[in-house]
Amino acid sequence: MQRSPGGLLATCGGVLAAVGAAAAGAFQAAASTATYHESIPGTLVTFEMARVPAGQVVLDGPAGPRTTEVASFYIGRTEVTWDMYDVFALGLDSPREGATIARPSSPYGAPDYGWGHAGFPVMSVTAHAAQAFCAWLSQKTGRRYRLPTEAEWAHAAALAAGGDGLDAAEREALVWFRGNSEGRTHPVGARRPDALGLFDLFGNTAEWVTTETGEPVTRGASFRDDAGLVGPEARAAQQPSWNETDPQLPKSRWWLSDAPFVGFRLVSTIEGVQP
Amino acid sequence: MTDRPLDPVSRRVFLGTTAAAAAALAMPGRLFAQGSDTIRIGLVGCGGRGTGAARDALRASAGVELVALGDLVPDRLAQCRGELAKVAAENADFAAKYRVTDDRCFAGFDAYQKVLASDVHLVILATPPGFRPQHLAAAVSAGKHVFAEKPVAVDAAGVRSVLATYELARQKGLGIGVGTQRRHQAEYLATIERIHDGAIGDVLSGQVFWNQGGLWSREHDAGWTDGEWQIRNWLYFTWLSGDHIVEQHVHNIDVANWVLGAHPVRATAVGGRQWRVEPRYGHIYDHFAVDFEYPGGARVLSMCRQIQGTRNRVGEHFIGASGRSNAAGEITGGRAWTFESAERPTPPMVQEHADLVASIRAGRPINELKQIAESTLSAIMGREAAYTGQELAWEDVLNADQVLAPPEVRFGPMDVPAVAMPGRTKLARHWNEA
Repeated sequence: MQRSPGGLLATCGGVLAAVGAAAAGAFQAAASTATYHESIPGTLVTFEMARVPAGQVVLDGPAGPRTTEVASFYIGRTEVTWDMYDVFALGLDSPREGATIARPSSPYGAPDYGWGHAGFPVMSVTAHAAQAFCAWLSQKTGRRYRLPTEAEWAHAAALAAGGDGLDAAEREALVWFRGNSEGRTHPVGARRPDALGLFDLFGNTAEWVTTETGEPVTRGASFRDDAGLVGPEARAAQQPSWNETDPQLPKSRWWLSDAPFVGFRLVSTIEGVQP
Repeated sequence: MTDRPLDPVSRRVFLGTTAAAAAALAMPGRLFAQGSDTIRIGLVGCGGRGTGAARDALRASAGVELVALGDLVPDRLAQCRGELAKVAAENADFAAKYRVTDDRCFAGFDAYQKVLASDVHLVILATPPGFRPQHLAAAVSAGKHVFAEKPVAVDAAGVRSVLATYELARQKGLGIGVGTQRRHQAEYLATIERIHDGAIGDVLSGQVFWNQGGLWSREHDAGWTDGEWQIRNWLYFTWLSGDHIVEQHVHNIDVANWVLGAHPVRATAVGGRQWRVEPRYGHIYDHFAVDFEYPGGARVLSMCRQIQGTRNRVGEHFIGASGRSNAAGEITGGRAWTFESAERPTPPMVQEHADLVASIRAGRPINELKQIAESTLSAIMGREAAYTGQELAWEDVLNADQVLAPPEVRFGPMDVPAVAMPGRTKLARHWNEA
């Protein structure tokens, strides 16, 4: 992300020495906050990860609600941007590498709908594409990135929303939703950060996560959702309508022809370090 | 026979009230007028779009079956069968309509003739566009209804052939639908009906865009001859694709012709090959900008680009004497209006098949071939204005001695035509003449 959101609000600290010890290469731990910045090697693209403390979260499931322990982890302060995704999709890091890594196919059309690109959240991507990006980024940086588990996302969302959830004023200040989005995505980091210091967790794009059984679902609302859907509970499984008008068969593994409201956010657990 | 599709709603009313009377008038349509006879479909061109079109056609209508497949190369044929079998495994309705057997699968340059010689009633033509005029002529000559992907030609000679085929299809009462699906999309239909009704006043100018990143491409595999590689990598050779202004941007130019109710009379253009310069990208351009002049003096700017990392914009915009519109659901000024629909519409790429089959069953087959031939020639006129660097008039392009296919289309040695050079490239040219 080339745009750097300002005004970090960290809710927890005390892990920076350990994080710093694990750091290598482009990894830079901030001195006074529980975040770190990562650069994508060979590019000028950077992004910021924020620590989420360990805790418990209640998830609904086929057998009813149950409490799940969540270890501490790092989560992207913003949704993954086109700036980040393009490095992968367009081979901007190594355009002549040949076929050693599977990169997204070229879309027939405009997956960003022409709404904006630099600084905007990636959208219209399949869960497969989001996972492939994480795998590529892990290889590129030497640090493991992946999609959040559903428990991690829900835990972060509960902390981000604060004890009383989002009231109307907070929703308006924090979230791009139908009521203020004019029907499109907006640059990441443009609304106020939430109680965890994250941006756009509750809106802009919905975000791919991985359930306990390994299925992808989206959490969080998007620019197209009504106010009533905005909050830590928002959840959706992919529908046929999300990829209905792809003119090709087989349909693209990489692009969703009709889901401009779907993006994702990174999670990292620092290997060998217990935050 | 109607040249332009009716509004789907009004068509539904029309079909409900006059189908029987209309059926008595038409010849090939009469077979299906009662809705009880199965319409058997063949597919020619089994790539991703052809396979998708077959899927869409079976989804669109009851009483249809896919029975025959044809492609140039066996591996694409096999891939298509595999994909359709997967859909059939997941969808019982589709499975009941998917009736392709080994003896109705054909490969080779004559595969289209074998599909036409089978007992199909309707054929989907989805090969690279350079083959379309020949396939259209053969299909109509054989008395088949057709769904033809866009564009329908790549050069002036091809468009003349398609216009002749249109007349023949009209005389025979055959239905021809084409893959400009915006003509079957509710937002466009409702908006352009209002524009034609004066909602923004006289249309004075417009802007139409298809700017995006690059598309797929294939390197020259060592196991392929030059000819096979060019056909497999067809997007990048004008004799096969028409260049991207014809292959892709024809959608938006077609909307301009629809809104203006005419084809352009003159074009001036710039274009070039700036970013996509490696051998795998053949000889086509990667950007064009065209000033189209319409009868009465209205002007439309057309812009298309396929360059990675550049700003995307796909759509249209029109300015009238009293308002503006995106042609797809929004009118501002004038009689301001926004499209709203209570129900989620059928995807336009399915609706276009539904409309074609319904019109055949009603004995009033739609024939969209002239409108797409004109939109194809409009795009060719823009391309040629850029390639030659000259201002070109419609009649000059329509009548040009221009044949872009090689004298013999076959696997084997084949040159890559030279990149067009404004100021030197001539409108009248054959194959790889500059």
